[in-house]
Amino acid sequence: MIEARGLVKMYGKKPAVQGISFTVQPGKVTGFLGPNGAGKSTTMRMIMGLDRPTGGDVTVNGRHYAGHRAPLREVGALLDAKAVHSSRSAYNHLRAMAATHGISKTRVHDVIELTGLGAVAKKRVGGFSLGMGQRLGIAAALLGDPQTVILDEPVNGLDPEGVLWVRNLVRALAAEGRTVFLSSHLMSEMAQTADHLLVIGRGRIIADASMQDFLARSGQLRTRVRTDQPEVLGRALAAEGVTIETRDAALLEIAGVDARTIARTALDHQVLVYELTPLQASLEEVYMALTKDEVEYHSQNFGNTDSRDNTDTPAGPQEVLAGAGAASREGK
Amino acid sequence: MSTATMNRPAARVSGKGVSFARALHSEWIKFTTLRSTWILLATTIAVSIGIGVLGAWGMGSGIEQLRADGQDPASVGLDPSMIHMMATGGLDFGQLIIGALGVLLIASEYSTGMIRSTMTAVPRRIPALAAKAVVVAVVAAIVGVVSSFATYFASQPVLSQYGLEYGLDVENLVQSILLSGVYLALVALMGLALGSLLRNSAGGIVTLVALLLVLPIVASMLQFDWVKDGVEPFLPSNAGRQLVALQIPEDALTQLQGGLVMAAWAAVLLAAAAVTTKTRDV
Repeated sequence: MIEARGLVKMYGKKPAVQGISFTVQPGKVTGFLGPNGAGKSTTMRMIMGLDRPTGGDVTVNGRHYAGHRAPLREVGALLDAKAVHSSRSAYNHLRAMAATHGISKTRVHDVIELTGLGAVAKKRVGGFSLGMGQRLGIAAALLGDPQTVILDEPVNGLDPEGVLWVRNLVRALAAEGRTVFLSSHLMSEMAQTADHLLVIGRGRIIADASMQDFLARSGQLRTRVRTDQPEVLGRALAAEGVTIETRDAALLEIAGVDARTIARTALDHQVLVYELTPLQASLEEVYMALTKDEVEYHSQNFGNTDSRDNTDTPAGPQEVLAGAGAASREGK
Repeated sequence: MSTATMNRPAARVSGKGVSFARALHSEWIKFTTLRSTWILLATTIAVSIGIGVLGAWGMGSGIEQLRADGQDPASVGLDPSMIHMMATGGLDFGQLIIGALGVLLIASEYSTGMIRSTMTAVPRRIPALAAKAVVVAVVAAIVGVVSSFATYFASQPVLSQYGLEYGLDVENLVQSILLSGVYLALVALMGLALGSLLRNSAGGIVTLVALLLVLPIVASMLQFDWVKDGVEPFLPSNAGRQLVALQIPEDALTQLQGGLVMAAWAAVLLAAAAVTTKTRDV
């Protein structure tokens, strides 16, 4: 479990993380999303004690990372793939890391096999491809068989087989009851991997919700309907909160009413319906709308961000999420 | 895929945490698994021996020449004690390589990003820095002693051609050879501290060379009494040279004093390095 309370990081006068609080729960994969420069890596680095928070506090399994007697056994992290001396072999790198915790060579060989590095383990890391470096970073993260795993962009540079492998790996880790905290820019990948989402924009948490809730709040109730008599059906469905968009002569997109009600209404009015598809906004759509709003909001109100800094955080997610849903529908 | 191997009992043993001994083991693995380490160490020994033997040969042939010309070598300052000094004569060059090794040991971790792995494995950080210090100091000391003894033994066949060979019973000689290890250890620690403060290989090496070589030259050119008495003897390499001196002039720092002054330089730099290592973001 990772708990952050009012975490702040300033680089000089420039805020990178602005007082964020969140909890990453064990037993599921929590995705960490946000545009470049939003503060994802900074937050992860503060969790790992590499960056010192300017304010606030973050603990892993109840303690500061550095407060653990055997930190690698508590938390494994891949923060950047090339945190390795380029002239050293992968095997020796892992052996040196393992030695700090008295982790056996058997385990070193295990993680090498696990991450598919067997063939190159004795080669200089400097000659590794991005994907190989990534696998080495994951191997290092798993070395201590940690309860909590933090992976920053783990699928960067991996081939499709590697992407699938990482997905299965993190799912398996979470299924074993471990805490998995994962960032990625690949929305399709995140949609398939994460159970819970934490979205950060401009150093603030702008959404903290389960994947289902996250997607649901943004127009899950849209339904694509193909019918011979769109006008009749449209009139029959017209009600408060129902929006009907006509895509072409026979195609409607209806929001605000569920598919069953549409079917029922069509039956009652003897209207032939030959497609009835509930549409769910993709994670990418929701995310883009959400972070676009965040960025636009800040650009428009650049002059008075300070006053918002102090007051806004708790109300933020709901507000923005509601806005995101609308934006996503308009964008269609 | 085979995530089942995650749960091997071997990795589940509890109560195995970071200790200084383990940090030391890790730093030793890191130290020995870089080819550059071995190249620098071998170079240090080879250059030290080479310089020492070359110096002995030069002096030997010079003395022979002067004798042939009917002059007393001592009248131009070439007396046997200078030849005896040549056992540790390679130190002036050896110190630069060992110092560079100290700088690189930590600065290369900053330049490659390895430092983040190091600080993740040993998040209290100071044990990692201390372990590096122990490793590099011990190795430098061994290299210093080995180089000096090797220089002594390699010089004797050369010197015997001029009838100038000498035994290990020369006053203070063995002590000087042993203390050359201490001298290199202190230089290595200064290098490590500078590398850690500047987080940059080139900057660290240049600063170290400035401290060890340039400052003494500048100081020797300044003809002020306060520089001659209050600054020059206390510069690290000048003070450290007293460690390996065979004869100490009346008004100079003693071996112990010189050693302590140089150790103070290393200690202050290391303390600063410890503070910044502990507090800086990596």
